[in-house]
Amino acid sequence: MSDLIFDVEHVSLRFGGVISLNDVSLHQDRGEILAVIGPNGAGKTSLFNSLTGVYQPQDGTITFVGKNGKPVSIIGKKAYRMANAGVARTFQASRMFSAMTTFENVKIGAESHHGIGVVGAMLRGPATRRGEKQSDARTVELLRFVGLSEKANTISASLSYGDRRRLEIARGLATDPQALLLDEPAAGTNPSEKIELAKLIRRVRDEMGVTILLIEHDMKLVMALAERIYVLNFGSVIAEGSPEEVRTNPVVIEAYLGTSSEGAPSK
Amino acid sequence: MRALLATRALRRLFITLCIVAVIELMTGPPGNNAQPVYGFSHSFGEAASFFGLFRTQRWVPFFVIGLIFWGLASFWIAQGPRVKRRVHDALALPRAATQKRPVRMGAMAALLVVAIILPHVETAPFWQAAMVEQIAVYVLLAIGLNVVVGFAGLLDLGYVAFYAIGAYTTAWVTGALPTPALFHHPLNPFFAIPVAIFIVMLAGVILGAPTLRLRGDYLAIVTLGFGEIITIFANNLYGITGGSLGTNQIPHPSIHLGPIKYSWGLAPVPYYYLVLSFVVLFIIVFSLLERSRVGRAWTAIREDEVAAESVGINPLKYKVMAFAIGAASAGFAGFLTASQLFYIFPASFTLQFSINVLVLVILGGMGSIAGVVFGAILIQTVTAYLFHSPPSGYQPSDLYIYLGALLVTMMIFRPAGLIPSKRRKREIKLSEADHGGHLDEVLTGDDT
Repeated sequence: MSDLIFDVEHVSLRFGGVISLNDVSLHQDRGEILAVIGPNGAGKTSLFNSLTGVYQPQDGTITFVGKNGKPVSIIGKKAYRMANAGVARTFQASRMFSAMTTFENVKIGAESHHGIGVVGAMLRGPATRRGEKQSDARTVELLRFVGLSEKANTISASLSYGDRRRLEIARGLATDPQALLLDEPAAGTNPSEKIELAKLIRRVRDEMGVTILLIEHDMKLVMALAERIYVLNFGSVIAEGSPEEVRTNPVVIEAYLGTSSEGAPSK
Repeated sequence: MRALLATRALRRLFITLCIVAVIELMTGPPGNNAQPVYGFSHSFGEAASFFGLFRTQRWVPFFVIGLIFWGLASFWIAQGPRVKRRVHDALALPRAATQKRPVRMGAMAALLVVAIILPHVETAPFWQAAMVEQIAVYVLLAIGLNVVVGFAGLLDLGYVAFYAIGAYTTAWVTGALPTPALFHHPLNPFFAIPVAIFIVMLAGVILGAPTLRLRGDYLAIVTLGFGEIITIFANNLYGITGGSLGTNQIPHPSIHLGPIKYSWGLAPVPYYYLVLSFVVLFIIVFSLLERSRVGRAWTAIREDEVAAESVGINPLKYKVMAFAIGAASAGFAGFLTASQLFYIFPASFTLQFSINVLVLVILGGMGSIAGVVFGAILIQTVTAYLFHSPPSGYQPSDLYIYLGALLVTMMIFRPAGLIPSKRRKREIKLSEADHGGHLDEVLTGDDT
């Protein structure tokens, strides 16, 4: 077996009688940029939420291989434990600590995985000071990485949608993740922001070595970015392959456009 | 245009006078069975002094006060923004000064000196007792509740439970309850302090762990229930807590540690210094916590729990922590009340008490330690003053009408409190912007 980071085996998720995910199997190698696409209601978000511990599928297994190479099961894990295990995420509608500055947002990500140590934190001993310095340095570094250095002291609620995405990515990266899960990162961004975002996501993988899993609606971004694509429809995987293979797959075209004709599926 | 303005002003006058009429009615004399309309007619018609100048009927001074308020409101509506801007500009220099660390430290040291010499300046027995029982205890409770409500954003309506547990623990370890004391050996109340604080924090964890999984309104209701449960336990467990009569056997604290010997008695001033040192201690501890990683995690949870969880913060853990830490100062306040008054009984630990403390926190400024301390001192001093020398026409039972009116006014004009915390103020403005306000106003507005 190659170097797997996510291994989803035969996962089914039902809400009462509604089948949201039906026997979905999916795997991702470490360092890969993988995209999951599909029309509205295909189960993309259900899959995403199952991967981040929000939903608990009734059947199947989801395994994540963390830093130490030990596989852990995701199902039934709380969201904060996923974050501590090394899975960072962004949200479809950006969620920030909106009354905080950009810097503070990222810093919270950077320091959350130090232990708690109430007394130490309170008395500001040397270890706390050192930890704080490290978090500050890491925050500065990450803000520079995503290109938000100049907006470090801006209240995050006043950032543009594109900048909010960057902030969310920086905050996720601050937790030192193995994998970064992006939930429709292109939502609400304009075309030029989209190009910048694609560049940034690629740099996250290339320079930080973080595996990227992308759930996306926007074909332009997916085709520009993904190395491999899974296509979901009605809760099942209907196709898998490189962007070129997926683009020309008649099943995919039919799922997107209703009837097979010519050209790429587009939003 | 002019006609429109006139009608608006007139409408405002009408509303003001209606409010005044309601206040007259509420603060007027009660009726009785023999004369059912007495309360109504005499609320307006009773003889009263016109600000000490001449005798007239009750409605006249009220009417004049209404007119004055109407005038002030009209002025504020017309000129408010300009006045605000002027004041803001005029205060730029002093505000810059207060941002400096040495200035802040100096101001705090000066306040501490004032607090230390205060009992020697104000020697009236009533005020010396009030400083401990009415003011210091509430300051302790307010800064503790501020950790829960202000820092972690958890609405706790059962905070009195921790105060009660602190007081009963003190009674228990000093052997004043029917229950055998800890280790069957009654402790000196002085050593009850750490025990009371520890037990209260433990109670915070025990009460918090199951309830803090709930959010918002649900949490408020469950904490309300817990507050009541503790009081009812104290009332009904006769063999353990002494029932509704409680106990009046709690000894005063004393220290016998080598050369240091001191006994507290009935006089309030020694307690004042004891409580002052603990207030200072708690203020230091809580403000250090606020500025630490823990404080930032609380803020993150308060602002967006889902996002906080996504960066690895365990919300339950931090919330329970806030509950336990906030309870600590209530535990000490419980100790103080028990050992100073030497008696405790369940009827003094009511829901009203929790609400009172919450009002102090809200008025002072949620999340701002300086604010809640100032708010608690101000409100409790005024309350004690009204109790001590009530102005003519003031009835003690009216206190809550005035407090309620003050609260409503504050929520309109200064929702973040008397001395607001910067971040809280921003959060309130942002949530107002979400509900139709203008975002630019929030983001370019001043941050003071």
